[in-house]
Amino acid sequence: MTLYGMLFHIISAVIIAATAVAITRKNLVHAVVYLIVSFFGTAMLFYLFGAPLLAALEVIIYAGAIMVLFLFVVMMIRAESAEKKVFVPIQWIPAAIFCLIYVLVAAAMAVGTPGMNAPLKMLSASPAQFAIYVFKYQWFSIEVVSMLLLLAVIGALNLGAGRRAGRVDEERRIEDDSALQ
Amino acid sequence: MIAPFSEVLVVAGILFALGAFCAVVRRNLIMIVLGIEIMLNAASIVFVGASLHLSNLDGQSFVLFILAVAATEVSVGLAIIVYAFRRTGSFDPGNFNLLG
Amino acid sequence: MAGSPAHSVDLAALLAATALPFFSFLAIIVATRGRPKVSAGLSIGAAAVCLGCSIGLLAFHSGLSAPIEFSTSLIASSGLNIPFGFLVDKLNLLMIVVVSTICFLVQVYSLGYMAKDPGFSRYYAFMSLFTWAMMSLALSASLLQLYFFWELVGLSSYLLIGFWYEKWSATQAGKKAFVMTRAGDAAFFIGILLLFIHTGDLNIAHLDSRSALAGVPPSFITLSAILIFGGIVGKSAQFPLLTWLPDAMEGPTPVSALLHSATMVAAGVYLFARLYPFFSLSPTAMSVFLAIGTISMLLASTMAMVSRDIKKVWAYSTISQLGFMIMALGAGGYFAGVFHLTTHAGFKALLFLCSGVFIHRFETNDVFELGRLGARRMLIPMISMVLGAAALSGLPPLSGYFSKEAVMGSLAGLPDHVWLAAGLCGVFLTAYYSFRLIFILLFPRERVSGEPEGAHGAAHKAEYGAMALPLIILSTVTVFLGFFETPLRHFIGVAGEVGQAPTWPHTAALALAVAGAAVAWIEFGRKGAAQIGFVERIEPLHRLFAERWYIDHFYGLLVNRVVDRGIARLCELNDRKVIDGSIDGLCEATVESGRVVATLQTVMVQYRLLAIFAVLVLLALYYYY
Repeated sequence: MTLYGMLFHIISAVIIAATAVAITRKNLVHAVVYLIVSFFGTAMLFYLFGAPLLAALEVIIYAGAIMVLFLFVVMMIRAESAEKKVFVPIQWIPAAIFCLIYVLVAAAMAVGTPGMNAPLKMLSASPAQFAIYVFKYQWFSIEVVSMLLLLAVIGALNLGAGRRAGRVDEERRIEDDSALQ
Repeated sequence: MIAPFSEVLVVAGILFALGAFCAVVRRNLIMIVLGIEIMLNAASIVFVGASLHLSNLDGQSFVLFILAVAATEVSVGLAIIVYAFRRTGSFDPGNFNLLG
Repeated sequence: MAGSPAHSVDLAALLAATALPFFSFLAIIVATRGRPKVSAGLSIGAAAVCLGCSIGLLAFHSGLSAPIEFSTSLIASSGLNIPFGFLVDKLNLLMIVVVSTICFLVQVYSLGYMAKDPGFSRYYAFMSLFTWAMMSLALSASLLQLYFFWELVGLSSYLLIGFWYEKWSATQAGKKAFVMTRAGDAAFFIGILLLFIHTGDLNIAHLDSRSALAGVPPSFITLSAILIFGGIVGKSAQFPLLTWLPDAMEGPTPVSALLHSATMVAAGVYLFARLYPFFSLSPTAMSVFLAIGTISMLLASTMAMVSRDIKKVWAYSTISQLGFMIMALGAGGYFAGVFHLTTHAGFKALLFLCSGVFIHRFETNDVFELGRLGARRMLIPMISMVLGAAALSGLPPLSGYFSKEAVMGSLAGLPDHVWLAAGLCGVFLTAYYSFRLIFILLFPRERVSGEPEGAHGAAHKAEYGAMALPLIILSTVTVFLGFFETPLRHFIGVAGEVGQAPTWPHTAALALAVAGAAVAWIEFGRKGAAQIGFVERIEPLHRLFAERWYIDHFYGLLVNRVVDRGIARLCELNDRKVIDGSIDGLCEATVESGRVVATLQTVMVQYRLLAIFAVLVLLALYYYY
């Protein structure tokens, strides 16, 4: 086992352990913090696999933005311990059985498929190379995704505005503006 | 030389199973969304690993899109949860069983 | 992609011609909704730039030998490659000039026609959208891109036909146009997919040079050609999808002019010409097209003979002229079809715009009413209308004469003379119905009132001026375009054109056109004529024509009988006899099993999630073993 191989195993163990701890926490703030650890591990894995830009993005977006969003929501509506019981037997026993089957099948398939067992080589795509590739071949998808993000902003705003009293005033103000034009 | 691709697949598979377990078992809407995030993350790991395995940058660009979609999904999903909480005062998915 | 400086000039011109109308659409929608004048200025300015670029491109490339292509990959992934960009050749150079000219003139005309409409800005926004879609359609490099803009053309015509959305009939007409063309478009899209599956290449240039089609079985080419033709049938209002076009008259008249001359319906014929080398690979498909063109041409001419609505007469004539174009293309007369498309765009826009002046002034669509109110005193529109009608009938020396002769020439080249006979019959009918309308307008029987020209205020004068200018330009085009036949033939000229045809069909066509006009004169023009056509004397025939051969009734019947009564009746019977009967017997069991199912059904989302996950796992297991 090489140094990189060892690194891979350590990081993987950290990710899985952190995730496993996270999903069993009753306190949502703790769960989110453990998940941040897991995402940092994923970022390191990405770096190991030669995707430095994605590693940075993983930290910034997943561990940074998304998890902070979760924390905000949890703190905003004080949802630290909403559940009476974390695990209900009628739910977790069948789920655990299927997850176990799933992991076993996945492992069997991954190991059993020929050509999968050669160790990965060390390669790295610099951010510049990656960016050139993306904007050369996937520019259209980028446009589509940007549109999706815009729609998400609109949707979230619309949901967040709700039916508060302030909204009525705002509508009236907009109407006044358009009347002035 | 890093580990073989099959091991990457196994690690990602375990993560995915954990995410699915979380989404299916935890009786809390926020934990369900967290579980979905974990599953997306597992898929990203497979994509980056496959990108290295096949020496093709398509995999990495897909992760870029997964990131964007995850951000979208979380923002809208959490907004829906906050809205639902305001209306019913509950996080239990068992309480949301009426259509309409 | 980037080449010599000349190429980048071309690219800039193409981008300007396609992008500017879109930007003006956005600008109007976003910013200048409240300022009608600015909106009109933006839209007309964009159309003018389009026109300038198109003419510049045509002039610069008059000696073009091979098509030029500017394209970039839209989707490139594992062998799949769909280009996105511009394809420039002689056909679409001509087409963009026609499109931008008509769009520009119609927008100038609308300054007068729509002047007092509250939706003025919205109107210009949709006009810009229409211009953009049509220009981009004409310049598309791949079939998928073409389909995209094809749908946008359909969308913008829906918006414009239903422009006066407070009017129930207008919204209905818009919906009808949209749904009927969609029926054709579905076939078109299936055709594209089939083609893509078998060839893996949607590049129009490759399809036309037939390099992509090597090794594709001929029966398959026939199938996809007929499916793609389905789109043309819908868009160009050919039989059996022709009834949306007369109803589309509910929109503002300039919109009708635009729809009927250079954009919406012309898109269908343009697609035919665009893929002409591909279509001509399949003789079976070509004869189907020929037959459909002939049927629609004759049907629509007979409908036009009895209509009293001035716009509907021209609408039916559009269908029949499109039928002529499709006949010409189907008969192998590539040049004849394209040339007729060009001349028709000019004189049909002219006819509609003239009618628009009358309708705007007298606020009625009825021909007899218009004649009584003194339409003939409005000199410019009346003269232009006579010119346009004469061109439509194919009288020399107007543009329609030359193109119709070309069409007859290509029909005469066919071994079977049935088509030629049908074509000649169509020429007679065309001359008859156009001059019927002209004579009714010119020689009204009873005169109720006729306030003299110029009795209205200065504002009216300005509107009239904006409307008269395009009329004069289009009349000039109608008079002189025919003399450019030879240069155009050299410009468009394709190998495999029908050779020198005998001259007698030309003479016969001219004679029949004159005869049609003469019959119209006898029945409507001369002093003491009863102004009742020979068709109107035969009641059943009249009803048949006036009800559009009952095509709409047939569709209504189809929906009513088959869907509503047939299937719904069967369902109802099933409800009463089978389900109710069995429930009586199995009541207890149903209630019990219902309870069992209900517990499954009313549980929360997570159980379903678990079920989905379980099924996925089992599928993975199944796949693995």
